[in-house]
Amino acid sequence: MSVQFIALLTLLTPLASATLIALFLRKQGTLASLVSTLAAAVVAAGALTLAFGGGRFGEQLGAPVDMEWMRLGDFTISLGFLYNDLAALMLSIVGVVGLCVHIFSLGYMHDDSAKARYFGGLSIFMFSMIGIVLADNLFMIFIFWELVGFSSWLLINHYCLKQSAADASKKAFIVNRVGDFGFLLGIILCYYTFDTVNLVEIAHASGAGGVVAVAIPLLLFCGAVGKSAQLPLQVWLPDAMEGPTPVSALIHAATMVAAGIFMLCRIEPLFAHAPAIALNVVMWIGTGTALYAALCAITQSDIKKVLAYSTLSQLGYMVAAFGLGSIEHLDAESHTLIIISAGVGAAMFHLTTHAFFKALMFLGSGSVIHGCHHEQDIFKMGGLSKKMPLTFITFTIGVLAIIGMPGLAGFFSKDAILYLAMENNTPVFIILSITAVLTAFYMVRMWKLVFLGGTRSEDADHAHEGGASMTLPLLVLGVLSLIGGYEAIYGGHFNGVFDQVAHPHGSAHTTILITSLAVMLTGALGALFFYKSGPADSLQQRVPGAFGLLNGLKSTPDAVYGYYVAKIQQRFALVLNFLDQILIGGVIVRGVSGVVGLFGLAARALHTGNIHVYVYWFLAGAVILWALAAGTL
Amino acid sequence: MTVGLNEYLYLSAVLFAIGFFGVLLRKSTLIIYMCLELMLVASTVALVAFSRFNGTMDGNVFVFFILTVAAAEVAVGLAIIVALFRRRQTIQVEELNALKN
Repeated sequence: MSVQFIALLTLLTPLASATLIALFLRKQGTLASLVSTLAAAVVAAGALTLAFGGGRFGEQLGAPVDMEWMRLGDFTISLGFLYNDLAALMLSIVGVVGLCVHIFSLGYMHDDSAKARYFGGLSIFMFSMIGIVLADNLFMIFIFWELVGFSSWLLINHYCLKQSAADASKKAFIVNRVGDFGFLLGIILCYYTFDTVNLVEIAHASGAGGVVAVAIPLLLFCGAVGKSAQLPLQVWLPDAMEGPTPVSALIHAATMVAAGIFMLCRIEPLFAHAPAIALNVVMWIGTGTALYAALCAITQSDIKKVLAYSTLSQLGYMVAAFGLGSIEHLDAESHTLIIISAGVGAAMFHLTTHAFFKALMFLGSGSVIHGCHHEQDIFKMGGLSKKMPLTFITFTIGVLAIIGMPGLAGFFSKDAILYLAMENNTPVFIILSITAVLTAFYMVRMWKLVFLGGTRSEDADHAHEGGASMTLPLLVLGVLSLIGGYEAIYGGHFNGVFDQVAHPHGSAHTTILITSLAVMLTGALGALFFYKSGPADSLQQRVPGAFGLLNGLKSTPDAVYGYYVAKIQQRFALVLNFLDQILIGGVIVRGVSGVVGLFGLAARALHTGNIHVYVYWFLAGAVILWALAAGTL
Repeated sequence: MTVGLNEYLYLSAVLFAIGFFGVLLRKSTLIIYMCLELMLVASTVALVAFSRFNGTMDGNVFVFFILTVAAAEVAVGLAIIVALFRRRQTIQVEELNALKN
């Protein structure tokens, strides 16, 4: 089988599974779940075969691997594959994490009444996500981008009888539309300027200058802001936790939200050619999100909400890393200074490790929620380390990985970002370090409240491990979170990405190591001693002011958007509605239909149903015809 | 008195008028139908008269055609009326207004 064929198979298998489920297996939940999981296994196998088989294609300028899909005049939309190391890495992540989530869902969703719909949604999501990863042009990315939005809507809305879930899914979809609008404008501007949307051709294109050179990447970045939930469009992600927990793991932590980062890395040449302001905007938005979300996470009491804000924060890290841009790097072999796009390297590296440990923690939280009979409040848990030892161990690995414990996955990628920040921008370095302190703080807080101390509710008393289908993915992801930071395990197959990761040397290395150890210990020990594993929030009891402030910080954007929609947009809509009713509805539509209606009324009066009357009409007609023929009329 | 072309045409016109007003005014479908036939017959009288007084066969040929068509009409029309009566128990035109309501 040629590599292109494997790629096509990887792309289309989930679509086939989704179609099969949607058309034939709606009532057979168990069969549907098996079909979908099998498709995910094919995807994982295909992704890993492609990645480690060494085949890369579509990278050469002028020799795209694509086919024409639609032609409108001079304008062609083609569908094609660009499979370089970046795509290979992303595809492997999607495949592996996706398979873990599918297997976990077999256990977690076992008793769900709408299992077929759920697994169908997972399959269509896998299809859309792989489409984004493999796409070789911006239009194709956009198509699958929207499909991802749709499948996300479908999955958040899984418990569609719950009002909050229905609202959350709508919110996610609409907020994403706002970002997508900018994305679409960016694509159009890109086509207008470069006459192409093919990623390889864009990388070699030039000719944009001034405002356009800044506008294109920033408009495209709007899409990433929506999908990766950066400020100011971050509001949908915490609400999206209404979906089933495995969905949160797959979509809202590991893969879909990472699509924004991935897309940025795909269009990195545009940023590289643009004036520095473009990257600076990206960097500050990412940094702001990282800090903001970390602050919000501290006061959350819902286990999934803590993880959601932590996801936001880590996404902010990645975006900030991307925005920090390139760096001069001393090549070890030739002893020359070369410029590497360290932003891409660090962002993708962190995306990889984050996908592992965040999926692990979300699935771990799923295991906890499942064990506690769908209790999500961390203040009603406690003491689960004894009840659910395996979940406890794997979750602990996840926590240690995210807070940057040396030797675990998160440590390496976070250090790469911190080093880059230290070299390129000191204020960002300081903010990201503070964020790292906060990360350790809220993660350890949650970990302690959930797993240590005594049980605080009846549900927690009866907590138990799920079956093998739930513990196995935890183990796999746990191992990946342990070793995911060592580039050796990737066997040099993703060097296109990992060569871009900047490694500190000499004194910089020491500084970074000390900094990251210091921030981790400060945050972790702070939380460990500050919080008691009790039924109330220690921060709320001891410093209610700060607690209120952080809570306010969390709800302010929602309140602002709520005000905007209710007061400004709604009133504007009223005006438009008035115009619509009076002008279009009243004069144009009603007017025309009224005239036609009058004719109809007159014609209806002729139609009496009495044969004699018709004979008279016939007579009258004959007379008129005769008169016309005789020329008297 | 001699009977000329005019007398035949008067007869024809009177027959036609009787038939015409019958169609306009009578309520029973059967009567209306007979009146229609009367109008056809009135026209054949006129045609025969023309043929007789012109000494050609043209009018007679028309009459044959008209009689043939009228016979076919009777077959179809009476069948319709019978079917109508079976279904609706009436052949009064003012009650046959299903098209309106």
